[in-house]
Amino acid sequence: MRRRPRLLRALSALLLALLAGSLSRQASAAASARDTIEQTSARVLEILRTANLPVEEKRRRIEQIAYDTFDFDTMSKLVLARGWRDLSPDQQHEFVGQFRTQLALTYGRRIDHYGHEELKITGERTEPRGDVTVQSRVMGGQYDNTAIDYRLRQAGDSWKIIDVIVEGVSLVGSYRSQFQELLDRGGPQKVLALLREKNAAGASVDVAEPPPKTN
Amino acid sequence: MRRGSSRLVLLLAGSLALAGALGCASSSGPEIRTRQGTLVHDPLEPVNRKIFWFNDQLDRFVLEPVATGWDWVLPDPAQRGINRFFTNLLFPQFLLNDLFQAKWEGAGLATGRFLVNSTAGILGFMDPAKDWLDWKPQDEDFGQTLGWWGSGAGPYLVLPFLGPSNPRDVVGLGVDGVSSPIPWFAPWYVTVPMGGVHAINTRSLHLEDVREAKASALDFYSFVRNAYLDYRENQIRDGQEPEAAPAREDLYYPDSDAP
Repeated sequence: MRRRPRLLRALSALLLALLAGSLSRQASAAASARDTIEQTSARVLEILRTANLPVEEKRRRIEQIAYDTFDFDTMSKLVLARGWRDLSPDQQHEFVGQFRTQLALTYGRRIDHYGHEELKITGERTEPRGDVTVQSRVMGGQYDNTAIDYRLRQAGDSWKIIDVIVEGVSLVGSYRSQFQELLDRGGPQKVLALLREKNAAGASVDVAEPPPKTN
Repeated sequence: MRRGSSRLVLLLAGSLALAGALGCASSSGPEIRTRQGTLVHDPLEPVNRKIFWFNDQLDRFVLEPVATGWDWVLPDPAQRGINRFFTNLLFPQFLLNDLFQAKWEGAGLATGRFLVNSTAGILGFMDPAKDWLDWKPQDEDFGQTLGWWGSGAGPYLVLPFLGPSNPRDVVGLGVDGVSSPIPWFAPWYVTVPMGGVHAINTRSLHLEDVREAKASALDFYSFVRNAYLDYRENQIRDGQEPEAAPAREDLYYPDSDAP
C-alpha cells in the first residue's frame, strides 16, 4: 500500500518525461524541416541569381540540390500507391530513375524564368503521423503571393521533401491520378514506356525552346 | 429594385436545390479522391474527354495563336494591368459572395480594394490596395458560396468552351452571370468584345504555364481534372487546411489503406 503513491509518482514522472520528450522532439522536428526548406530555397536562389553562369550549369547544380532534398523513393511509392506492388523490383528501380528525370525536366525547363522572387515561410504544421508541412508564399515576380506547401518526412537524421502543394494542388496527387489512369489502361509496362518516351522528348525540347522573352 | 431582389432570392433558392439534387445524383464512373479525401466521380468521362479534346483544339488553333500575337505586341506589365482591370470589375461578385458566406471582413476588404484601386489605381489597372496597404486580393464566386455552405460538387463535367466544371460550379456561373451589374451599364456589343479581350489577355499571361503543363503531363485530361478538383476545394476553404484530416493522410501512407 505504501508503495503505490511512489509508483504512481514514478509513472506520472515517466509519462511526463515521455510527453516532454515527444513535445520537444516535435518542436525540433518542425524547426529542422523548416530549416531544410529555408536553406534549400536560399541555395537555389543564389544559383539562379548568379550572373554569367550558363543555364546548363545552373540546371546541373540545382538538380544536384534536388537529389539531396527530395525523397524520390518515397515519392515513387506514393504516386503509384497500390500499383507500386505490381512492379517487379527491376521495374521499381527503373521507375524511380525515370520519375526523378521527369521531375527534373519539368522543373529545369524554365530555370531561366525564375530568380526574381523570394520564398517567405509563413508557418509549419506537424501532421498526425510525424511528417511536417512547411507553408510558404512566393513574394514578387510573376507568381507573387502564390501559396506553396512542402511536406517533409524524416529519413535518418535529415528531412526530405515528399510532396509540393501549390495552391492546394499536390504534386503527388496530380501524378497519382495520372499514373492510376495509365496503370488501369496498360499496366506497369505502359507507365514505364510513356515515361521513357516523355523523358527522351523532354531532353530534346530544351534545345528547341524559343528564347525567353525580354520584356 | 424590389422585383430584382426577389428574383435573385428565388434564383438563389432554386439553384441551391438544383445543386443539391445534382450533387446526390451521380456516384458511378471512375473515382477520384481529392487531396482532402473527398470522393468525386466522373461518370461522363468518355463524353468529357471528347469535349476536352474539342476545347484543346479550339485553344491550339484559335485562342493560343491569338494570345501569342497579343503577347508579342503587349509587354507583360501591360497585360498584368489589363488583368487587374478585369479583376477589379468583378467587385460586385466578390462583395455579394462574401456577404452570402457571412464573411464581413472579406466584404469590407473587397469594398476597400475596389474604392482604392478604381481611384488611386487608375480604373483598377494598378493595385495600390495590395502594394501600399497590403489588402490582398481574394477571389469569391457563387460556386464557392455553395461549397462553403456544404453543397457537394457533384460529378466532374467538362463544358464546351468553358472547360472543367461540375453542377455546383455551373449553377455558380449562372448566378454570378445573372447578378453581375455590368450589363446595366454596358450593352452587349461592349461586354462581348470585352469578354474576348479578357480571355485573350488571360491566355497570353499563361502561354508558358500551359505549354509546360502539356509537356510534362502524362495524361493531360487527368492532370487538369485533378488540379481543378483540388484547386476548387482549396478556394472554398480560402486556402486554410483543416487541422484534423485523416482522409488527407491516406495520400501519404498508401500501404495502410484497406484494400
